[in-house]
Amino acid sequence: MSLLDATQAALRLLLSGDPDLWGIVGVSLSVTLRAMLIAMPVGISLGYLLATLRFPGRRPLIVIVQGLLASPTVVVGLLLYLLLSRQGVFGQLQLLFSQTAMVIGQVVIALPVLIAFSLSAIQGADPRARETAVALGASPPRVAWTMLIEVRFALMAAVCNAFGRVVSEIGCSLMVGGNIAGVTRNIPTAIALETSKGDFAQGIALGIVLMVVALGINTAFAFFQGESQR
Amino acid sequence: MSTLTVNTLRKSFGQRRLLSIETLSLVAGKSYALTGENGSGKSTLLRILAGIEAPDSGRGHYGAASFDWQPYPDSLRREVIYVHQQPYLFHTSVADNIAYGLRARGVGPGQRERLIAAAIAWARLERLLTTPPQKLSGGERQRVALARAWVLSPKVLLLDEPTANLDAESRQQTIDLLQGLCAPQCTTVVACHDRDLIAMPGMQRLHLVGGRIEQPSTAAE
Repeated sequence: MSLLDATQAALRLLLSGDPDLWGIVGVSLSVTLRAMLIAMPVGISLGYLLATLRFPGRRPLIVIVQGLLASPTVVVGLLLYLLLSRQGVFGQLQLLFSQTAMVIGQVVIALPVLIAFSLSAIQGADPRARETAVALGASPPRVAWTMLIEVRFALMAAVCNAFGRVVSEIGCSLMVGGNIAGVTRNIPTAIALETSKGDFAQGIALGIVLMVVALGINTAFAFFQGESQR
Repeated sequence: MSTLTVNTLRKSFGQRRLLSIETLSLVAGKSYALTGENGSGKSTLLRILAGIEAPDSGRGHYGAASFDWQPYPDSLRREVIYVHQQPYLFHTSVADNIAYGLRARGVGPGQRERLIAAAIAWARLERLLTTPPQKLSGGERQRVALARAWVLSPKVLLLDEPTANLDAESRQQTIDLLQGLCAPQCTTVVACHDRDLIAMPGMQRLHLVGGRIEQPSTAAE
């Protein structure tokens, strides 16, 4: 099957509303959105605290977070597998090969991205912003909120980056999700499986969806950034 | 009347002792022009008084309360307002910038709207309300910052070179606003080189030399 034929078949598959294909898309988006909803407040808060608090061990902590940006997702999956497997510390929770395990894995993968980018955004903000908020009598939580609003576009870039990393990761999802059809099969694991079976049409169709999601998010980000600079 | 007094204030940067002030009393209702060479520590002194920066040591007294700068008292933070030399305006509207301190103080929406309208009229900002703050000129930003301070009715107002880097027209507008900025009980300290500001009626001079405040004298002297 040529690339053109496979692409045409992929488009037909998408437009036909194939339930298996759209089910896979649903699993992917559901898992990633839940992971992001958990990771965003935690990661951005930790990034803010790392940027603004001074405490012993802060520098090594920042180096570790930045190092984790490059952590292979398959290694995260392996560690999580060991923790969640029957003999693991959290084995009794019976989370292995579930969407919950995939969400946990994606949270772990997204956190370093969100922390490091938020840290960088806050550190790069105009120092007068913080001083002005303090000088106008704002409480520490209000100062923090003001700073996050002031760097909101850098934070949106952090969220886009983290979303892009987790929605397309395959190593962790495959290891802790198990690629179970209709349950834990998401877009990246399905693409790998279908390609290995020689079913390029479904792989391309899912690839198109992944690209549209990624482009959609980045286009929305660029639009809001453009609006802010008008 | 509350007087803000600082004793044995010390501040160094590395090996360099920038401030070494034995006693400085700022009497309620008085206006002070804080003068000195560039790098003499004027801005640092204002930032310490505002609680934005901490001294190496020193004690402060305000009204009946005594404090050091670790931590800076919340009660004082609500009454002392500092305006940067180049004011920072938040990335929101002009009106929201003016509302910021009021929101921080929990002023309700009705009263807040009235106060914002009054501040806009006071600083003649009506034409600027739809302009994003980042598009305003230096003089316009200064007027918004002064309105943002004025609306809070501060007891102590600290202004860092408010007319620096402004064109002649903006400078005059800023000086006009400064003359009506403070309520009678408000203490104002203006760090400046501007002769017109130093010569404003009732302005006393505090001159920083070698980290110390020279004996206050009137501007005319």
